[in-house]
Amino acid sequence: MRRLFILPLILLALLVLGVVTALFLPLSPAIALRTLASPEIRFALRLSLTTSLAATAVSVVLGVPSGYVLARHSFPGKAVLDTFLDLPLVMTPLIAGVGLLFLFGESGLGGLLSRWGIRVLFTPLGAVAAQVFVAAPIVTRSSRAAFESLSPRYEWAGQTLGLAPGRVFFRVTLPMAGRGILSGTVLAWARAVGEFGGTLMVAGATRFHTETLPIAVYLNITSGEMEVALSAALILMAAGVAMVLLLKTMGARPAAAIKENLP
Amino acid sequence: MRNRTISCCALVWVFTVLLSLFPAANGFAEELILLAGAGLRRPTDVLVDRFEQQTGHRILTAYDGGGRLITRIQASGQGDLFMPGALFHIEALEKKGLIRSVRPLVAHTAVVGVSAAAVDRIRSFEDLARPGIRLALGDPQAMALGRTARTIMQRAGLEKEILQNTVVYGATVKQLALYVARGDVDASIIGRADAFQCRDRMTMIPIPPAWFQPETIAVAVLQSSRHPDIAEAFCAFMASEESLSVFGEFGFLPLEK
Repeated sequence: MRRLFILPLILLALLVLGVVTALFLPLSPAIALRTLASPEIRFALRLSLTTSLAATAVSVVLGVPSGYVLARHSFPGKAVLDTFLDLPLVMTPLIAGVGLLFLFGESGLGGLLSRWGIRVLFTPLGAVAAQVFVAAPIVTRSSRAAFESLSPRYEWAGQTLGLAPGRVFFRVTLPMAGRGILSGTVLAWARAVGEFGGTLMVAGATRFHTETLPIAVYLNITSGEMEVALSAALILMAAGVAMVLLLKTMGARPAAAIKENLP
Repeated sequence: MRNRTISCCALVWVFTVLLSLFPAANGFAEELILLAGAGLRRPTDVLVDRFEQQTGHRILTAYDGGGRLITRIQASGQGDLFMPGALFHIEALEKKGLIRSVRPLVAHTAVVGVSAAAVDRIRSFEDLARPGIRLALGDPQAMALGRTARTIMQRAGLEKEILQNTVVYGATVKQLALYVARGDVDASIIGRADAFQCRDRMTMIPIPPAWFQPETIAVAVLQSSRHPDIAEAFCAFMASEESLSVFGEFGFLPLEK
């Protein structure tokens, strides 16, 4: 029985190993290092870092309170709303991109925002918006689960001891749910770093302007610059591995990672 | 009871799948793989349908950018027919001895696609250089049309001004056409067929032919073809007057003789 089940495990491991080796074997270390230091990749790395961190911060601000409401309160239409909020996780990236373009385009919300001087379309801000769209649902889901696993009795105890509701949240609830929220945040960050469809449509594929790492991979595969594409992919993959390791040390179960669609 | 319904459904499904796997049941029908440029999808879909009905053979079409199709042909060593959006991709495979025969079909020219909202501001190519105009262009490394656009503005002597007006670069021509059609930019340099297919939302301004070389769309039989005779028949079908007029309906122009 055990031997029977080990075989699929080995096959699966070989498949992943095979893909990673096939991808990076043609890339000589010298070329990889040179490409990694190229201005294009350095720009893409910097832009990916700043946009994804900004998107993660926005996602936490939006997702943690949302998760709390969903965990602690019931209201009509909650199940519908809950399903609705998960939609970005299952949408085809390019369709999400087209939807975001329609929303943030000149004839949509984008026209209104640009009157106030906020340009989302064709700017790095567009990349942030696209990343929030896919990252915020992850924060919402994981913080909801974290809050749900906490008995409200702790909050009641805090209140009977004289803490105002706001302080109860920040001094009792949030610290206790912290680990769950943090692991959700790391996943959301990973998702934001890998976001592609929305960035392509809303921010565009402008080199040295809206060129995040996934856009750099796409542009360079299309123009046949495999080395540059693979170097960018190498950074993305290293970031992915680092994030998975981080999650593991935080004690999150791998099952959660699968459920949350880690790219 | 419910179980029986489910197993019945499953059986029917398995049967349909099996049937679709063996279309050859009706005699000599064969399956050919056509790798075609994504921009040629609409006329190609119509013509592939017609060919299948006339001959009973099946053509499986894979659409993608020319560069990625080449990668696929070389990596897999498979495929019968190749019809990219630019002759240059066929020539690249020809140099490697992977092409059996080539048949030119139609021309694909570049035009300025102008958004309906900007028609009063952009009436000529030179208007693209006016201050305040918002343009989208193809990435010159990733898109053949991006390179063509660069050549065009250099020959027009307006490269600096036009680049200054460019607010976004796209990776595919459909992306550029979408921006123009929705009015997110005022104009773009795109393929005539792409502008033509969105003609209810944009107008076209022709670009002087002296400024660029129109692309030739051609269909080639690959060396890897397992049914070269059927593949040749498909090429002849595509080059027939009737088929070329279908290309015309989607905005492609006849080749200059």
